[in-house]
Amino acid sequence: MSTYTLRAKHRRSTLRTLAFLSPWLIGFTVFFAYPLVSTVYFSFMRYDGFKPPVWSGTKNWTYVFEHYPLFWPALRNTLWLVVIMVTLRVAFGLGVGLLITKIKTATGVFRTLFYLPYLAPPVAATMAFAFLLNPGTGPVNSILQKTGLPAPGWFNDPAWSKPALTLLALWGIGDLMVIFMAALLDVPKEQYEAAELDGATPWQRFRYVTLPNISPIVMFAVVTGVIQTMQYYTQPLIAGKVASGVIQGAGTQFEPGYPDKSTLTLPQLVYNLGFQRFDYGSACVVALVLFALSMAFTALLMRRRGGLIQAGER
Amino acid sequence: MPGMYRNATLALAASASLALLATACTGQSGAGASDDASKETTINFWHAWSAPSEVKAVQDLVAGFEKAHPNIHVDVVGNMTDDKMNQALRTGGAKAPDVISSFTTNSVGKFCSSGALVNLNPFFEKSGIDPRKTFPKAMNEYTQFEGNRCAVPLLGDAYGLYYNKTAFKKAGITAPPKTWSEFERVAEKLTIPQGGTYKQLGFMPNYHGWETTTEHYLGQFSPTYFDKDGKSNVGTDPAFEKAFKLQKKLVDALGGYRKLETYRAGLGDEWGPKHPFHTGQVAMQLDGEWRLGMALDTKPTFDIGVAPLPVPDDQADQYGKGYITGTITGIAATSKKQNAAWELVKYMTTDTDAVVNFSNAIHNVPSTLAALKSPKLKYDPRFKTFLEIAANPDSTTAPASVNGGVYLTTIQEFGYAYESGKATDLKAGLKKTAAQIDTDIAQAK
Amino acid sequence: MTQVLETPLEPKAPPTPAERTAHRKALLEWIGIHSLGIAAALFFTLPFVFVFLTSLMSDSQALSRDLIPHTWEWDNYRRVFDTPGFLTWWRNTLFYAFLGTALTVISSIPVAYALAKFRFRGRNLALMLVISMMMLPPQVVIIPMYLFWAKQLDLSGSLWPLIIPMAFGDAFSIFLLRQFLTTIPDEYVDAAKVDGCGDVRTLLKVVLPMARPGIAAVALFQFFYAWNDYFGPQIYASENPGAWTLSYGLESFKGAHHTDWNLTMAATVLVMAPVILVFFFAQKAFVEGVTLTGVKG
Repeated sequence: MSTYTLRAKHRRSTLRTLAFLSPWLIGFTVFFAYPLVSTVYFSFMRYDGFKPPVWSGTKNWTYVFEHYPLFWPALRNTLWLVVIMVTLRVAFGLGVGLLITKIKTATGVFRTLFYLPYLAPPVAATMAFAFLLNPGTGPVNSILQKTGLPAPGWFNDPAWSKPALTLLALWGIGDLMVIFMAALLDVPKEQYEAAELDGATPWQRFRYVTLPNISPIVMFAVVTGVIQTMQYYTQPLIAGKVASGVIQGAGTQFEPGYPDKSTLTLPQLVYNLGFQRFDYGSACVVALVLFALSMAFTALLMRRRGGLIQAGER
Repeated sequence: MPGMYRNATLALAASASLALLATACTGQSGAGASDDASKETTINFWHAWSAPSEVKAVQDLVAGFEKAHPNIHVDVVGNMTDDKMNQALRTGGAKAPDVISSFTTNSVGKFCSSGALVNLNPFFEKSGIDPRKTFPKAMNEYTQFEGNRCAVPLLGDAYGLYYNKTAFKKAGITAPPKTWSEFERVAEKLTIPQGGTYKQLGFMPNYHGWETTTEHYLGQFSPTYFDKDGKSNVGTDPAFEKAFKLQKKLVDALGGYRKLETYRAGLGDEWGPKHPFHTGQVAMQLDGEWRLGMALDTKPTFDIGVAPLPVPDDQADQYGKGYITGTITGIAATSKKQNAAWELVKYMTTDTDAVVNFSNAIHNVPSTLAALKSPKLKYDPRFKTFLEIAANPDSTTAPASVNGGVYLTTIQEFGYAYESGKATDLKAGLKKTAAQIDTDIAQAK
Repeated sequence: MTQVLETPLEPKAPPTPAERTAHRKALLEWIGIHSLGIAAALFFTLPFVFVFLTSLMSDSQALSRDLIPHTWEWDNYRRVFDTPGFLTWWRNTLFYAFLGTALTVISSIPVAYALAKFRFRGRNLALMLVISMMMLPPQVVIIPMYLFWAKQLDLSGSLWPLIIPMAFGDAFSIFLLRQFLTTIPDEYVDAAKVDGCGDVRTLLKVVLPMARPGIAAVALFQFFYAWNDYFGPQIYASENPGAWTLSYGLESFKGAHHTDWNLTMAATVLVMAPVILVFFFAQKAFVEGVTLTGVKG
């Protein structure tokens, strides 16, 4: 083959690739690259949507980090959720996954029942939990009180609102359950048999056979859990809105994070600054913090599990 | 002088470019609006009312307008919060409102200073209406910001005390409390505990108790929110400390924050028929004048009493004052039909019959001097209390600020921390709140 | 572990003491595991049960502490449908979910195919960017995007700012499909090429039929995403009740019906039900999809 035809062929294949990628290339440029650059630009601007944007240097950055009263509470809440909610979710997901592999009667029924809550639309599920956990009249506290147990304030108590959200997150464990179930079924049977022959206790079997085999999946669950926590928006927002009782909001300024800022998360701050205070510049600062955190964990995911990409390279 | 000449040119150039920028971003403003209000047209009107009877009252009001102006059609959208209006005022477009109406005066400062709503003075002049002779003084003031009249009062609100007369009689109380210390005794007396909760609560003092917000309590203490330089007075004016202390005392006396909040979570909604005052679950309620009509609509099993809110013991001579505010309306700067929009605004806010009928329908305080005197004004004798509060020279309101109601939210936020016991040092907390308000305003400028 | 099941059922000759302890242990394990299973099942299903029971209560009972309805008010569901706007929200949600899903699938397939089967420089970079986009919270770029849609194009107050981007590939769908397509052996693609098929025909005639489960999973995820989306409609559609979706409207429903928890819960049931119905019809594709995100990743 002559170099000419080779080059032509190469060009054709490049064109072909570009053609196939074109929807995404446009989407990437218009809905990712451009707005990202624009977000950086606005973060240095004073802009309220009425008057044209004015350069304001690092004023927005100083404001968000030093003076915006909701920033640090939101970050602290995120940390709480990452440490406690993500951990519990992974542990519970693994537990339910294990349980489902052990259940031998009506497995399909159990699996479906365990999985269903994951499908409940977040707004509906949160409203349902706000009702179930209503401290005054909800069924959960009714039962707790009948059995003489303490009845917490749940979504109406700053100390209990995040645990209540965690409960909601554990209820929707279906995704992790299925992932862990598949991973557990992939663990080679021979390894268990060998361990049993060695007289290993069930705990030892779990610790020395199961865990090493599924550790990449645990890692995956943890990192994606952290990334999801960065995006945690609908559930805490709705829970706070419903529990505060000022859902109507006409006339009253909606107060994010009820009770006492305990359900604030970073995405809510973007909304509060951008669409309630209309300080677009400061909203972009929070957006960039959110971006940096998400990307840091995404990088971790890609590095720890080069698998994400290499899986297809096999 | 050459120097002066240069300065003048500069100033001229600067103002010209400013004007350019202003028109570029906020569209046509002032009475130079170019649309013809006598042609067939449709305008959008957004309001905040949501209770079915109120929504109907707005529809009737608009129907009256459409009858008087058959060429102008009005698309009415209700249940709009300030946030959504703010959002739409920024973007404009075909679906955006031409006329908006907000429940609070909180956003007036923001609306006026940013040019979101057009200055209505030229429209008033053109129509030969003098706002000063049309609206009561306080209402006339809270619809302007630094000389820019971007809003018009559309009925007013005055806050007073509702009490369950039947419960009062049972508890052996003969008259509504006039001072806060009396109030505390009465509230305790009216509270009937039941297990871990209440059979009847004397008063729901928590800041989330619908209308028991910080600014409504504060109104009774006649605070000065800002000093001459526009700096927050929250840390310096003793009225704030007194008001916070009073509310905290009530919270502690009536069962503590947690217990009250748990009770509140099981109560009905502010705008629904099962409002705890209607149901008798709460015996006294700080509320606006509209509550009377709403409560009567649900045919309660007890007698409703109405009185002004108590005053601090050392201000007993000012008994009768209250917090006043009101619904406002204005024309979006992005509107391309400002003349037609003005016709609607003019009708709703200055046509005596329209104002009176609307006031009769939603039980709010009329917002023009003529309507206040109108013989057609129908009201329950108890409603007179609110008319008097509205007319009381000692009554207070919360001033407009460039960043809207953010400073009120900041004060409220501290209130939540203080009532729940999370913040214990009141003085330091108020100082911090004041500093926060100042930085927020600086950031908004 | 199968013998566990049979143990309590099969009577045998008198067992030795050792056998007996083993049996007892297995029986205890069976009981233990299934009790745990039932406890877990209660945890997962009771919220549904309470929501459903409350949805059938009378107005006056909904705020009381009783758990079982005194009278069964099926009429509540009709009252929900009578709520102004409820049917519009349904229509909008179906429109958003179906159109959005179709656009996503159509635009994501070629991209995923190229990333899975073409060899070109920058492929890993492209894939990394796809993953980054997938992990990006929508709030990060919302300010410029909102200004773009609302100020430049005057499309706020509608669902178009949410639907149009779906015509340009969705990162999660691309990733998921690409993961699936890499599992299709190259030999099939090569064979089609040898038969003289062009890239487009290879994709349409050979690859797509084999990728049907993957496509089904992607379509389901996207459908649920649109169904559940709250932030998008909140930003773009909040100002126009005629454009609200169920997820967004449900929250305001609470406002319109005040504390009528019975009606709110009936509406909640009506928002949950379609998702659950779809799941029962497409359970296999869905579970495969979830597994694909984790295990194959």
